[in-house]
Amino acid sequence: MFNSQCSSEGQLNIHHFPGQVQMRLLLVEDDPAIRGFLEQALTEAGYEIDTANTAASAETLILRGNHDAFIIDLGLPDGDGLELIQRCRAKGSTAPVLILSARRSVNERVRGLEHGGDDYLTKPFALAELLARLRNLLRHAAPPQKETLRLRVGDLQLDFVRREAYRNDQPLRLTSQEFVLLEYLCRNAGRVVTRAMILENVWQMRFDPATNVVEVHIYRLRNKVDRDSDQPMIHTIRGVGYVLKHA
Amino acid sequence: MFSNMLRSPGKTAAWRLSIWTTLAFSVGTALAFLIMYLLVENSVRERTDAWLKGEAEVLSNVATSNAQDTLYGRIVEEVTEQATREIAEEGSEKGQNEKSIFFVMNAENHPTLWIGPEPRESYLTAIDRAQLKSGIPQYIHVDNLPIPFRVVASSREHGSRIYLGLIDHAANNLLDRLIQRFVLVWVGMVLLGFVIAYASASRTLSRVERIAETVARIGTDDLGSRLPEAGNSDEISRLSRTFNHMLDRIQASVNQLRTVTDSVAHDLKSPVTWIRGRLEGALSNSNDSSWREPVAQAIEGLDQMAHLLNTTLDLAEAAAGALQLDRKRTNLSALVRQLVDLYHPAFSEHHHELEVDITSDISIDADVAMMNRVVGNLLDNELKHLPDGCRVRIQLTETNKRAELRIEDSGPGFSPELRGRAFERFVRGTHSSGHGLGLAIVQAVVRAHGGEVGISDRAGGGAVSVVTLPLAPRADAPII
Repeated sequence: MFNSQCSSEGQLNIHHFPGQVQMRLLLVEDDPAIRGFLEQALTEAGYEIDTANTAASAETLILRGNHDAFIIDLGLPDGDGLELIQRCRAKGSTAPVLILSARRSVNERVRGLEHGGDDYLTKPFALAELLARLRNLLRHAAPPQKETLRLRVGDLQLDFVRREAYRNDQPLRLTSQEFVLLEYLCRNAGRVVTRAMILENVWQMRFDPATNVVEVHIYRLRNKVDRDSDQPMIHTIRGVGYVLKHA
Repeated sequence: MFSNMLRSPGKTAAWRLSIWTTLAFSVGTALAFLIMYLLVENSVRERTDAWLKGEAEVLSNVATSNAQDTLYGRIVEEVTEQATREIAEEGSEKGQNEKSIFFVMNAENHPTLWIGPEPRESYLTAIDRAQLKSGIPQYIHVDNLPIPFRVVASSREHGSRIYLGLIDHAANNLLDRLIQRFVLVWVGMVLLGFVIAYASASRTLSRVERIAETVARIGTDDLGSRLPEAGNSDEISRLSRTFNHMLDRIQASVNQLRTVTDSVAHDLKSPVTWIRGRLEGALSNSNDSSWREPVAQAIEGLDQMAHLLNTTLDLAEAAAGALQLDRKRTNLSALVRQLVDLYHPAFSEHHHELEVDITSDISIDADVAMMNRVVGNLLDNELKHLPDGCRVRIQLTETNKRAELRIEDSGPGFSPELRGRAFERFVRGTHSSGHGLGLAIVQAVVRAHGGEVGISDRAGGGAVSVVTLPLAPRADAPII
C-alpha cells in the first residue's frame, strides 16, 4: 500500500524486507471472508501468502519450516489455535506468531503469549495495525539495528540528542510529547498509523477514548510541522489513521 | 447456631419458636403440678379430719361415762398425747401442747377443762369467732400462729361442747416439701425443655439458614452451588429440592444466554472484521474522493459498533462478577498525570482552564489498561458535557488510606433526572453524543478494584466526580 511511497532517508532503514527477499507468511483462518481480504491485503503489502483453514492442514504447512511468520486465528473448526501453536513450538518451529482472536479478555491474551504466540490482535482490527505488528515481529526476528542519533525524512530532521526537530533547518520548538509523537510518525514514515497504535506507542495506553484527544495532538503537531511549508507532511486518512510522508 | 444466638438471639426464628414452646410447656406442667398438689392436700386433710372426729367421739364418750374430775383430765391428756403422737410420728421437737388443744365448754360458754398452749384467751376468741358447727372440722386462724389449727366441736347433753384441735406439722411439712420439690422440678423441666426446644428449632432452622447462605452466594458468585438434599421428605427438604430445581433452570438459561451472547459477539465480529478490512483496503488503493468520504464514514461506524460491542460484553462480564483484571502495583499518580498530558490539548481547544493537583507516588493494585479507561472516560465525560470556557480541577490525594481522584468543574452540573442514574447503562444526557456506557464501565471497573465512584453537584455550581480506590500495600519501589 504505502510502502511504495516510503521515503525514509539517512541512517534509518525502514524497509519491509531486509535483504530484499520477499517474506513468506502462513495465514491460518477458517472464515473465508476474512481469509480473502487478508490474503489480498497482505499480497498487496508485498508478502507471499499461504493459507490454511484447519489446524490439521496448518500443522503440516508450519512444520515444513519455510515461512517467516504465522498469522493464526484461535477459533479453528478442528481445534484450539493455542494447541496448534504449542504443538508446533514443541516440534521446533521458531518463526514469530501473530494471534488473531475475537476474544479480548486479559487471560486470553496472556494465555496466547504463554503458549508461544508473539503478539495478539483482537477482531475487528485495522489493517494498518496488523501490518505494523507483522513488520514489528519480522524486524525482531531479523538482527537488531543500530541505535541512531538523527533521523531525516525529506526536509524534516529529528535530533535525538537535543530532542529537537527541524524543518528546512528551522527549529520547530516542540513540546516533549510532540517530539515523541513526531518521532513515532517519522519512524513509520510512509506507513499509516492508527489512533490505537499512536496511543499504545506514544502514551503506552491501550484504550479507546470517546473524544478526539489524539486528533487534537496531531492537529497541534501539524500546525508546527507544516505551517511554514507549502508541502504538508502529516496527512489524515479518514477512517484509517495518519501518515507522515514527504511530497 | 450458637453464633446466631450470640449475634442477636431475639431476632432468630429459633429463639422465638423455643420461647413460645417453653411458655406453653411451663404453663401446662405448672397446672399439672397444681392439680396434683390439691389432690394430695385434700387427702391429707381427710385423714386429719377422720382422726379428729374419731377422737372427739371417744373423748365425748369418756366424758359422759366419767365424772369431770382430775381423773378425766388425766385420761384426756393421755388420749390427746397418744393421738397426737400417732398422727405425727415425724413431729417437731416442740411440746405436745403447742400442737393440740382440747377443752370442754359448759353451757354458759365457759371453759371447764383446758389442755393446750397458754394463753388460752387468743385460742378461745378465735374459736368463738369461727362459729363452729358440731362434727364439721374447720381451720381456725389464731393470732401470731403461722399455721392454722384444724378444730372439731362435738356437742354433748346439757349444751356443753367438747373441742379438739390439732396442728398437723407432719402434713404441713409434707405439703411444704411437696411445693418445694414441685417448684425445683418444674424450673428444671422448663429449662431443659427450653434447651431441647431451642436446640431442635435451631437445628431445623439452620437448614433454612444454609439455604439462605447458598442462595446469597449464588447472587454474587456462581450458579454452580446447590443445596444439600436430605433423604427425608419434610418441608425443608422439599424447599431445598424446589430451590435446586429452580437453580438448575436459572443456570441453564444463564449458560444459554452466555453462549448466545458469546457466539453473537463472535459472529458479529467476523463480518465487522472483513467489512472493515475490505473498506480499508479500498481506501488505501484509490484516490477517488467522491467515495472516500462515505467509505471513511462507514469505517467509523463499524469502529463505533465494535466499541459498543466490546463495552457491552465488558459490562456483562462485570455484572456477572467475571471481569478479568491483570492487577499489578501501579503508580496512580503517574498514570493520572499521563492521561492529563494526553487530554490537556483537547481541554485547551475548548478553552477550558485545567488545574491539576496530584500528590506524588500514590500506588494502587490495578489493571493499568482498565484504570486508563476509567480516568479517560471521566475526562471524556467532562469534554463532552462542558460548554466552552469552564474551569476543571483534577485532584489526586491520599485520604483515609485510600486514593481519591476528584474531578470538579464549573459547568452546569448534572441534571436532576440524570444524577441518580448516571452510572446506569445507556443513560446519557440530553445533549450527549455517546452511547451512555462510559460511566457504567467506570463504575464496574472501579468496583472490581474494590473502590467506589460517586457524582454530585458542587456547592458553587458545577459537578464533582469522585473515585476512591484502596491503596496498594506499602512497598519500597513503586513501579508503573
